[in-house]
Amino acid sequence: MVVLENISKIYNEGTPQAFEALSAIDMRVDRGECVILSGVSGSGKSTLLALIAALDKPSNGKIVVKGELISKLPDLHASEYRAKRIGVVFQHFNLLEDLSVEENVIVPLIHSGLPLPTIQEMAAKSMQRAAIGHKAAQSVKELSGGEKQRCAIARALVHEPELILCDEPTANLDKANSLKFIEILEMLHTLGKTIIVATHDPLFEKLSFVSRVIHMEDGVIKT
Amino acid sequence: MPNSKFSNNAFLHFLTLLLFKQKGKHIGAILISVIIIFLLSSVLFISASLQHTLLGTLEKQADFTVSRVEAGRAVNTPLSWLDKIVEINGVSRVTSRIYGRYYFAPREKSFLIVGIDFFDEQNSKALQKLSQGINLKRFLSTPNMLIGKGVQAFLNAHYYKKSFSFKTPQGSFKKVNIYRTLPSQSDLIANDMIIMPIDLAREIFGLGEADATDITFNVPNGAEWDNIIAKLHLLFYDVRVVEKREVRKAYENLYNYKGGLFLILYLIAMVTFMLILYQRYSMVYSTERKEIGILRAVGWSIKDILKLKLYETIIVVFVSFVFGVILAYLYVFVWGAPVLNQIFLGGANLSNHVVFVPVIHFGLLGSIFLFYAVPFLAAVLIPAWKIAVTPPKEAML
Repeated sequence: MVVLENISKIYNEGTPQAFEALSAIDMRVDRGECVILSGVSGSGKSTLLALIAALDKPSNGKIVVKGELISKLPDLHASEYRAKRIGVVFQHFNLLEDLSVEENVIVPLIHSGLPLPTIQEMAAKSMQRAAIGHKAAQSVKELSGGEKQRCAIARALVHEPELILCDEPTANLDKANSLKFIEILEMLHTLGKTIIVATHDPLFEKLSFVSRVIHMEDGVIKT
Repeated sequence: MPNSKFSNNAFLHFLTLLLFKQKGKHIGAILISVIIIFLLSSVLFISASLQHTLLGTLEKQADFTVSRVEAGRAVNTPLSWLDKIVEINGVSRVTSRIYGRYYFAPREKSFLIVGIDFFDEQNSKALQKLSQGINLKRFLSTPNMLIGKGVQAFLNAHYYKKSFSFKTPQGSFKKVNIYRTLPSQSDLIANDMIIMPIDLAREIFGLGEADATDITFNVPNGAEWDNIIAKLHLLFYDVRVVEKREVRKAYENLYNYKGGLFLILYLIAMVTFMLILYQRYSMVYSTERKEIGILRAVGWSIKDILKLKLYETIIVVFVSFVFGVILAYLYVFVWGAPVLNQIFLGGANLSNHVVFVPVIHFGLLGSIFLFYAVPFLAAVLIPAWKIAVTPPKEAML
């Protein structure tokens, strides 16, 4: 499903401030796997996730997702890849604060060409799955951290992606909300989704549905 | 089907959502835009209206005005010139005029006295409008005059309600009754004007039977104008010739000049506004930056972002434009442009309360729209594009 070959990422390349965030990463995640990228802050796991999400480009190496080389995609194709193939859950939720839960959830489908009623149906289904359907009309500003996270999950699932990427999803949640998030994750795993979670939360390390834990340190994978 | 394409269009739905839910963001831009459009439109409306009125009046006037000068100083024009001018081929409707400024020393104001031959056919058309409903027999039986609104207000304030006594060059006084005021539509040209029979005007100015202020005539064939001027200079060594087209240019220049000053002010205001907008939408504006980053992260392309910003801005520009123009219309044509009218009519001898005739050139409005919309769009779209092309990961920070 996801293949990374010799991936490196250097920030401020060619300047005295150059910093190598990732170095020679080789990794493979198969369809239906739930993989945890663990490591302390600054170990490079979020950067790696951003590269798989085509939110940034690697300095070297190649990333192939479901047979498609995404590490060098032009903007239009990278956007299409994000809009159709993957769902991303961010640490800071990254929601549009002026809008309601439902309005945030439909955002990835605005340019899908689908009619509004279909999009709203898909959003309702996704909100149900993420256990936030009861707050559909509520403004995001009025939600708790856990609710915001579930809204972000609903948005990530609305277009039924095969690959779900979560970046420090429980970093801003209390334990109860973290466990709720893990429940949703398990449900998605049973639905056959491929999941990659970047986290340093120990809660994720001994979960029964987790296929593997990949440990990262200073931009490299530790075996 | 009533539930049409429009209501089912997800993009339009989202655009409307953003406009209403982020109204705080747009109201400021709309308010400033309305003020700028209002100012610019008001100035152009006033300028167009004044030019229309003045040029309309000018159209009815004679093609040429000749008068006598002595060493560059205007003196009385002998009526004997009239007979010589009539004999020039191509000349028609030759007539003499008596007019001049009457100085009211105690208040340092002056009125424009125009003496008219009420039985002259050439004057009849122009007079018809001004003297509608006048009983000529009664009007001419005693010394009477028609006065502009400004004159009326001035005389009223000085207790001359029914008549005014003019001081003649011989030192005697000539009492003239106020017959009635001239219609408001003529305020722009007739505000400080007094119209009276030609002989009465001659008496007040102390003009001899053989003199006039100037002589006017038409030359229907425009190609002959230069020849006629040459002939006039051959006939009279001390003649001063004023062509209608020169007066027209002078009017146009005067109002274009005043309008031009406003355009400069407008440009300064516009540039300032654009800088504010640019700043607002530029990289330093973190909320905007983050919003674009989020949209990019969930799959919107650069094109999608620019489309959203373009539509958003077009709506803001359009709303501002419509409100600005409507406000300007009300301000100029309904309320008479208080403050601004003094800048255009300032320097007038008597304060003038002009009723502006509504004149709107749609080409002009179109130009204002483009002149305003293009820099506005650029000030929003360029920073939005700059944010959109940065990696979403960075934009969301």
